[in-house]
Amino acid sequence: MRLTCPFCGSRGVEEFTYRGDATVRRPAGDAGAAAWVDYVYLRDNPAGPHQELWYHGAGCRSWLVVTRDTRTHLISDVRAARAVAQAEREEGAV
Amino acid sequence: MVESLFAQPPVSAAPVRAGDTVLVLAPMGEAVSLGAFAGAGRAALVVRVRETFGVDLPEQPRAVPSADGQVVFVWCGPTQWLALAAGDAVEGGLMARLRAACGDLCALTSQSDSRTTLRLFGPQAREVAGRLVPVDLHDAVFGPGHVALTLAGHIPVILRQVARNPVTYEFLVFRSFAESLFHDLHVAMNGALS
Ligand SMILES: [Zn+2]
Repeated sequence: MRLTCPFCGSRGVEEFTYRGDATVRRPAGDAGAAAWVDYVYLRDNPAGPHQELWYHGAGCRSWLVVTRDTRTHLISDVRAARAVAQAEREEGAV
Repeated sequence: MVESLFAQPPVSAAPVRAGDTVLVLAPMGEAVSLGAFAGAGRAALVVRVRETFGVDLPEQPRAVPSADGQVVFVWCGPTQWLALAAGDAVEGGLMARLRAACGDLCALTSQSDSRTTLRLFGPQAREVAGRLVPVDLHDAVFGPGHVALTLAGHIPVILRQVARNPVTYEFLVFRSFAESLFHDLHVAMNGALS
């Protein structure tokens, strides 16, 4: 499997570390226990496109949001996690 | 030359040669990493370096010399660069010059004792490097000034091409891995020529 880092270009998967689901969001500090259990422990296991966090540790040391089809390993999108978070913040501010 | 903490050289071997291709421990000048502070730090840092050193910090994996040729700025990630003294010639020292120029905009950390440079050059240099580095080094896509942060075998390296004739690469490697990388490159040199 290869990932195209937005900074380094196409690289083998051995340069990256998988972190997990990129769609979970930290609940507010005063959220109930159920929300925290969901955030910390519970994950979906989709058959299809999935957004996940990968770390380019042997390259530019950037966190990336990778959209990977869990059935085929087809990578349809790779973006810098920083850019994804920024876009989300701007969306939230509008 | 920056004062070294280490009495021993990082690589004990003398330069090695296979045909006309040579692998040698290059002298390590002063090296300083720049990590832009969050927020407006990055954009301000680019402007400040342009004003002081007459060059734009690379936005892509490239290495660029300062206008006076004393410093090379190597891309090291989207908000990080490595400044290398191009000789012994940085007046007043590289760290002092950077601190005065942009110490308020980025984290400056001396890397002079953390990194070592191995230089590989000659007619087979590309084939030798290609045996260890999983990056396309073809002349059409990787030439002088190009940089790759990657693995050489299992060892993290900052690879940069510094010349085309003869093809010359520099491997910036953590000092404690330099001996291993030197060995691996030596093996690759023999293999690439057989
Ligand atoms: Zn990368």
